[in-house]
Amino acid sequence: MNQKVLSQFKKGDKIEILGIICGREFTRRLCALGLFEGTEIEIVKNDNSCPIIIQILNSKIALGQGEANKIYGRKI
Amino acid sequence: MVEKSKLIIGLTGNPNTGKSTLFNALTGAKQHVGNWPGKTVEKREGNFTYKNNKIKIVDLPGLYSLTAYTEEESITADFIFEEKPDVVVQILDAQNIERNLFMTIQLIELQAPLVLVLNMDDLAKQDGMYIDTKKLSNLLHIPVVVINAKSKKGLSEMMETVFAYSNSKERSKIKLTYGTEVNDELEKIKDVIKSNEKSIKQNDLNSIAIKLLEGDLRAEQKMTHRPYYLELNALIQKSIAHLERIFDKNIHSVLANTRYGFINGLSREIITKDLSRKNNDISEKIDTLLTNKYLGIPIFLIIAWLMFQVTFGLSEPLMGWLEDLFSFIGNTLSVLLTSWQFPTWVISLVVDGIIGGVGGVLVFVPIIGILFLIMAILEDSGYMARVAYVMDKLMRRIGLHGKAFIPMILGFGCGVPAVMATRTLETKQDRILTILINPFISCGARLPVYILFVGAFFSAYQGWVIFSLYFLGLVVAIFMGLIFKRLFSKNISSPFVIELPPYRWPVLTGLMIHAWEKIWVFTKKAGTIILAFSVIIWALASFPVGVEYGSRDSLAGQMGETISPVFEPLGFGNWQSSVALIFGFVAKEVVVGTFGTLYGIEKIESDSGASSLSDALHEDFTPLSAYAFMVFVLLYIPCLAVLAVVKRETNSWKWPIFMIIYTTVIAWILAFVVFQGGKLLGFN
Repeated sequence: MNQKVLSQFKKGDKIEILGIICGREFTRRLCALGLFEGTEIEIVKNDNSCPIIIQILNSKIALGQGEANKIYGRKI
Repeated sequence: MVEKSKLIIGLTGNPNTGKSTLFNALTGAKQHVGNWPGKTVEKREGNFTYKNNKIKIVDLPGLYSLTAYTEEESITADFIFEEKPDVVVQILDAQNIERNLFMTIQLIELQAPLVLVLNMDDLAKQDGMYIDTKKLSNLLHIPVVVINAKSKKGLSEMMETVFAYSNSKERSKIKLTYGTEVNDELEKIKDVIKSNEKSIKQNDLNSIAIKLLEGDLRAEQKMTHRPYYLELNALIQKSIAHLERIFDKNIHSVLANTRYGFINGLSREIITKDLSRKNNDISEKIDTLLTNKYLGIPIFLIIAWLMFQVTFGLSEPLMGWLEDLFSFIGNTLSVLLTSWQFPTWVISLVVDGIIGGVGGVLVFVPIIGILFLIMAILEDSGYMARVAYVMDKLMRRIGLHGKAFIPMILGFGCGVPAVMATRTLETKQDRILTILINPFISCGARLPVYILFVGAFFSAYQGWVIFSLYFLGLVVAIFMGLIFKRLFSKNISSPFVIELPPYRWPVLTGLMIHAWEKIWVFTKKAGTIILAFSVIIWALASFPVGVEYGSRDSLAGQMGETISPVFEPLGFGNWQSSVALIFGFVAKEVVVGTFGTLYGIEKIESDSGASSLSDALHEDFTPLSAYAFMVFVLLYIPCLAVLAVVKRETNSWKWPIFMIIYTTVIAWILAFVVFQGGKLLGFN
């Protein structure tokens, strides 16, 4: 299975979200923003030290690397 | 036309939708800002009239979701249920309409009397995105109005719609179905509640069931005191566990799936995209530069430096003018009251106590105003989010959140706007933590004290010594931040997630209102407390009757004498220092003036005055004790104005009092270490 955590992808990758292993509260916030299993996002910026920037629907969201390490997806 | 009783509107929406702009456009500067009762969240209310009707509009916190986990989220639900507004207006950002509709669904589920207002439609069209609002309105059974909050277009149409709606009180009949499995669980929950609450309405039942399944704290609280709660809760937990197991997802993902599925279907009906017109380029290009791994921070530092230059550059003349003004008022009143044969003590009270004390704080107004204006520009344009992004990595290393950076940087200018800026932090915990370490960051008001002592004792190394103090302040702030985190927050710092909104031109009127609002709040609240304390300090300096103002024989002097032994081990156990430090409680600049008064020197600003004060200081201080004194001034109690805003932001006296105690303790310890340690090392 071509599954990696978000922090392992690079700029321009389109990702389908497969799993989120965060606390309930954080997961809830991600869901409200449109990030949950089955949705598609795009990596806008990832330099592996600063927070990564992803595009969800039509907005740009920055996520800490720690958080990005707990979200699984595969490239499409 | 008969005047109706007040129409109440609640204004809600995602962050970055132009909600504040709309609020300001409707209420002008006639807003009242406070806190929601018992909470640390800002509440904005405004009143205006529309066609002879009185309207009250309440600005609810900007949120992405209404499931109540945090203070802000429960505020909105509370408002809808308890205050029962006539209309809830949700403002949507056309450029992000899908995500905005998530909240719309939740509002419908909460049975809010909803009217939708679509903002930034022009920007969406520029990007090639066209939204059919009529269709949206038909599909949701909710009125939808297009507006442009910046140019105030569509506002009268909005108010007409709101009015018409408030009379009809129709609710959207949309009912979201969550799929069989979820519905089954919802039915089970509803059955338990229904069998215990005979008179509950179906709509209310539906509302609360979905909220309970979501783990909404507010819904939970409503149920906890019911006799059947244990049974209900066990069922809810079982349902959640069951759903999470069969879907292999978190319950929120399960529900989001349905909600966004519905939104997806909706979007396909109402949105047409002309991709050839997509124009994200400028925003993207700017971002590549501003969020660049290597350039991001330097660019920010330059902008920050500019910010301070402009602030102090512009405010200095204004502050000088204000000082002259208060001086003039003081003198005039003095002459006037004397000629009217008022007793000396009254004159002294008014001139030295009130004008002197309050004026000394009102002098802050230009700095606060300008600083906040600049902050508002950075925030409304969207840059602030990039700052939090760029600083997050560094801040994490010292245990703080990226967003805490801005208040810290503001603290170098003035603690008052710094504390007020902590509002941008999402959790109460982060807000309080940032507020607590703020006093250690050397603010502009302490500078005169440093300049005085450094000029007298360290003339060769002035720059270095002052820099060392600023640096020490930062170190102590970071260190205390880490300690507080260790001691008080059991859970890990809140995760870093922030939206980077598209860059937008800030609205001038909005900015002015922002800045004015902050100035007004500061003046009002800080002014009243400071007035009270200024009078107290005046009294201490003037009594017993007949004594020379601020002399050794006055109460303040006596207090100084009594307290001074405490400062012996720190090297400055003279009564003048103690008195100056006491007066410095009101505002740090006062320390210098106090020394001047106590050593009997007039006009310390003049060169001759400065040197005679410097000479006078040499009698009671040594370079080492001077440094210890400056360390103490750096760290001890924040000024009255700061304490006043802390009280306001945290909604309790507990925190300001705690700050008074612990900053003084730390200041004492460190000054002690500096003085005694220095002596041991052979300095003097």
